Amino acid sequence: MRIVIPVIAFAAVSSVPLFATSYYLYLAELAMINVVVALGLNLLCGNGGLISLCNGSFMAAGAYGTALLTSEAGLSGLAALPAATLLTSLLGAILGYPARRLSGLYLALVTLGFLELVQIAIEEYPDITGGIRGLKVARPAILGLSLQSETALYLLVAALTAFAIFAAWNIQKSRFGRALDALRQSPFAARSLGIPVARMKPFAFALNAAFAGCAGGLFAMVTGFIDPTEFGVLESLKHITFIVVGGLGSVAGSVLGAALFTALPEFLRGTNEYSELVYGLILLGTLLFFPRGLAGLWERLPALPLQRAASKEPVHGAS
Amino acid sequence: MVLLETEGLSINFGGVAALADVSISVQPGEIHGVIGPNGAGKTSFINAVTGFVKADQGCIRFDGADVTGLAASSLSAGGLGRTFQHAELFGECTLLENVLTGFYRHQRYGLLAAVAGFGKAARIERQTRKQAAGLLAQFGLADLAQHRASDLPFGLQKRADMARALAAKPRLLLLDEPVAGMSEGEADETAASIKQLARELDITLVVVEHNMRILMSLATTVTVLAQGRVLARGRPDVIRANPEVIRTYLGEDA
Repeated sequence: MRIVIPVIAFAAVSSVPLFATSYYLYLAELAMINVVVALGLNLLCGNGGLISLCNGSFMAAGAYGTALLTSEAGLSGLAALPAATLLTSLLGAILGYPARRLSGLYLALVTLGFLELVQIAIEEYPDITGGIRGLKVARPAILGLSLQSETALYLLVAALTAFAIFAAWNIQKSRFGRALDALRQSPFAARSLGIPVARMKPFAFALNAAFAGCAGGLFAMVTGFIDPTEFGVLESLKHITFIVVGGLGSVAGSVLGAALFTALPEFLRGTNEYSELVYGLILLGTLLFFPRGLAGLWERLPALPLQRAASKEPVHGAS
Repeated sequence: MVLLETEGLSINFGGVAALADVSISVQPGEIHGVIGPNGAGKTSFINAVTGFVKADQGCIRFDGADVTGLAASSLSAGGLGRTFQHAELFGECTLLENVLTGFYRHQRYGLLAAVAGFGKAARIERQTRKQAAGLLAQFGLADLAQHRASDLPFGLQKRADMARALAAKPRLLLLDEPVAGMSEGEADETAASIKQLARELDITLVVVEHNMRILMSLATTVTVLAQGRVLARGRPDVIRANPEVIRTYLGEDA
């Protein structure tokens, strides 16, 4: 049972190219890329309780890294993506290092400063990054086989997204996920158990940056063109709404939140200027009525027969 | 042979001496009780020894090594455990998850194994789950393993805090008011499990406690603190007979 649902879901997602137009294929790719970003950010914020307003910068590092490693260093797309992911992860660790003693608003400000720094760096080195005019990204080739076909690129994105979900789920259920949860809920208790609280923060940032870097690399491949406006503060705030609306600390929440907010503009196309209003209402409504996000909805429903059957075990009275 | 030794430990909070020249030595295998009225410096003593508060003066030796000024997480990694006066459980997690978190340092698998999920990590997780369930059972919490920690009454949270601290496999465990918030019956039960577990697991205990009756039944040696200073030390029966102790502490509350 536990393996059946993911397999069906993956098969369904993989079959989209069979019937979707290329625009919807592109939209589905963007949704999956956002899922990858949300998964990483949720480990950092939802589990670790650390805020980051510079997730766009990590995406930028992954995107520009993949593009430049392909065009300048001559790596194949399949080698450039993991290399850029690793480099971005390192960047996350470096940012996380001075953040060791910070939390809350102070950490938010430091990450905001970092975001500006990255924006400026992209704009100030147009010879390398293309500056504000942007950078064209070549379609990746895998094993010499160019991913000219839309389907092949789509399947690559789907496969990596599936792996990201798998990885985030496993990390969350592991000793590392529990250490992040401990960091959020009681740093005191965490320290009393030998969890290296100061080292956990760079670790959490590195983890988040790896997901965002990979997503950024995929984004560069899918769009074929990147410029700094794609990775600004609005983008970073959007990533936070993904996980808040989806459900903090929940893998399902990351998936639901990212998918919803990628698809939303499509549903709201007729509403023009009111679309921002709908965004705001959804965010506000979630915070007010479903503090645990879309993923928490399931638990808020009145006990349905199905749900009762699914509940893990009978409730014992307090001793 | 001394397991834990403090020498001239002093802490000041803005001119108020929380601890003044406190020297205590704890022998391996003993249950060392620390009593004293409110504000006597009992919790400050635990905080100083476990690295949560830096002492202004004095030194701390653990297992023969000078550990003065070391960070709390490295001290606990070295075998120095503690519990908290207010339990400090991870409130949104279940009791089982709380205890599992205690095993963090003893689960030897890396991030890549964690990402893969199967194999080594899965095997270690299964073992740990069994051990965590066992610890919960020893504190009578087996039926509550899947309950959110913050939903439980304080007395049960205190017991879970102890189970979690034991999961980290300390050699010396400092308990901060372990039976606070419990009825007399629960307190007796808990004291019995503490005593039994300390013997079974070969753990030395320092017990800070308000409850005189429980402390005297548990401890093999007692140190009395008053206003940050050591007032008296000795075997429980000697302490009980000490006129100065009776005047400052027992007289008002026992």
